[in-house]
Amino acid sequence: MFYREAGQYKTSYAADMAVFPIRQDLIGVLLMLAVAYVAIPMFGSEFFLSSVMIPFLVFSLAAIGLNVLTGYTGLISLGTGAFMGVGAYACYKLTTIFPGVNIIVWIVVSGFFSALVGVLFGIPSLRIKGFYLAVATLAAQFFLQWCFVRIPWLYNYNASGAIEVAQRTLFDIPITGARATPETRYFVLLTIVVVLTWFASNLVHGRIGRAWMAVRDMDIAAELMGIKLLDTKLLAFAVSSFYAGVAGACMMFLWYGGGEASDAFNINQSFNILFMVIIGGLGSLIGSFFGAAFISTLPTVLKFGLPAIGIPLAGATAEHLTHIVVGGLIIFFLIVEPHGLARLWQIGKQKLRMWPFPY
Amino acid sequence: MRAPGDGHGTTAGEVLLAVEGVSLSFGGVKAITDVSFDIRKGEIRAIIGPNGAGKTSMLNVINGFYHPQQGRIAFKGETRKRMRPYVAASQGIARTFQNVALFKGMSTIDNIMAGRTLKMKTGFFWQCLRHGPALNEEIEHRKFVEEIIDFLEIQAIRKMPVGKLPYGLQKRVELGRALAMQPDLLLLDEPMAGMNLEEKEDMSRFIIDVNNQYGTTIALIEHDMGVVMDLSDRVVVLEYGRKIADGTPAEVSADQKVIDAYLGVPH
Ligand SMILES: Nc1ncnc2c1ncn2[C@@H]1O[C@H](COP(=O)(O)OP(=O)(O)OP(=O)(O)O)[C@@H](O)[C@H]1O
Ligand SMILES: [Mg+2]
Repeated sequence: MFYREAGQYKTSYAADMAVFPIRQDLIGVLLMLAVAYVAIPMFGSEFFLSSVMIPFLVFSLAAIGLNVLTGYTGLISLGTGAFMGVGAYACYKLTTIFPGVNIIVWIVVSGFFSALVGVLFGIPSLRIKGFYLAVATLAAQFFLQWCFVRIPWLYNYNASGAIEVAQRTLFDIPITGARATPETRYFVLLTIVVVLTWFASNLVHGRIGRAWMAVRDMDIAAELMGIKLLDTKLLAFAVSSFYAGVAGACMMFLWYGGGEASDAFNINQSFNILFMVIIGGLGSLIGSFFGAAFISTLPTVLKFGLPAIGIPLAGATAEHLTHIVVGGLIIFFLIVEPHGLARLWQIGKQKLRMWPFPY
Repeated sequence: MRAPGDGHGTTAGEVLLAVEGVSLSFGGVKAITDVSFDIRKGEIRAIIGPNGAGKTSMLNVINGFYHPQQGRIAFKGETRKRMRPYVAASQGIARTFQNVALFKGMSTIDNIMAGRTLKMKTGFFWQCLRHGPALNEEIEHRKFVEEIIDFLEIQAIRKMPVGKLPYGLQKRVELGRALAMQPDLLLLDEPMAGMNLEEKEDMSRFIIDVNNQYGTTIALIEHDMGVVMDLSDRVVVLEYGRKIADGTPAEVSADQKVIDAYLGVPH
């Protein structure tokens, strides 16, 4: 009834090519932005912002990054955690060496460092695929993790080996460090995520996105059409690692506020992001958000939600339950619906378009 | 559609592509042995032969996917020991595949748009913004792609993921994707295999139209002799990787070696 394309005639290719072909989709996005920028900071508690929204946004960014590589280009990676780490450490070094430059600049610039590292470790992807590439990225994961621990220069020779997030301000408002409020950190992070999501959406809908998907679906045909395989794959590695790097920097500076970094960027994190992409939907940006929302909030929901409605649940049990649910869903989605939650979303929209008629 | 490249209007007879003494083997298997032939501008050149004769391998040599051990390939007057896929594509060679090789997860439009990749130039920065030059370019190429879609009469499936389409339509989309490259030389590997009569007639019509309207030179592998006789200007016949005949359809079909190899005598 409300979600219809009826009466919306496309009179130009520009209109038909739009990322949101149905007006309600655009309205939906604007509505979501309004909720994210106005409603959530207004009504959400500090706990909600710092324990639900901020983790969700950080993981969304990382999931978009991995989705570019795995979902769109068909290259599997188990090194996402390490690439996030490169971003975090790059940001730490940059803001230590140049404390005068705004931290937001360094968060974004640190993405370029991890893009570079990602490209280096992406070079074997010309020759190897699938399982073997997964192993190669696993090597990247362990090598970089080793660097995070063994190169004290990276963490400024701190005795604890941790990243220490100092206070940095924008217009005298602290955005990192102990005195930065969850609201401020949330706004900064949200803006980074919105802008980068918009870029990603533009990329995947244009020439570059088509080249990525062509390489994923049929690399021989792509090559014979003049798509350079190595360039295309390396660009996917670069963009993917850029997103992961920015996500890692955001994680340390806007979420954790410092800490034992080498733990945050281990192989578990890589799998975590991979699961988000699988559950959310391979090759879907909205799916990246779904997957991140699902996996990052599930533990919180179980831990605090179930006791709130009267079902007692110990912390350890909640954790185990999370593993069981996530594991079950991954098996379900891998076998039944590789396009994940995003596909269910699509089907829902399709039904709504037809509603109330079944066909 | 605009006429592709400089293919149109030039006199037939000029050699566009010449294969000279090409031999190709895989380990011990000789796929092609010392084959020479040429393709002239504007013609439809059929390549025929029994299964395993080396026809597909020959196309793969021409567009640089296989590298022959011996021989040379001259395209547009430039002679090379071997082609490279990127060079072949950017010099104007497009192809379709014996077993459809579409981008299964993409829509019909996106598949054909992908064929425009080499013609799209805006850089990464504008692609991130999808405004200004990037958007203009996208619209311009989208118009071209819509013309191909009209030409191939596949308007109804424009937005469908191609993986779900029936085989006959997939072959058509694949032709569209090759046409999007505005090739000077179009290589078609059994474009009508597995089609019913009606679909074959449609496909034949498209091939003739492409050749007539845009002057595109076509190399065609086909098993259906009726189609070959109707469509092609000249035919080259391969058997066990060797060329056994070369000439007009009438000449070739009267050739005793061809009759033995292909039209009758069992091996
Ligand atoms: N990549 C390859 N590796 C090994 N052998 C190959 C390869 N490609 C082709 N061949 C061999 O080369 C020979 C010619 O094959 P080709 O596919 O060119 O034949 P064809 O004429 O296209 O046959 P068909 O009519 O069945 O398509 C066959 O013996 C085949 O087994
Ligand atoms: Mg063949």
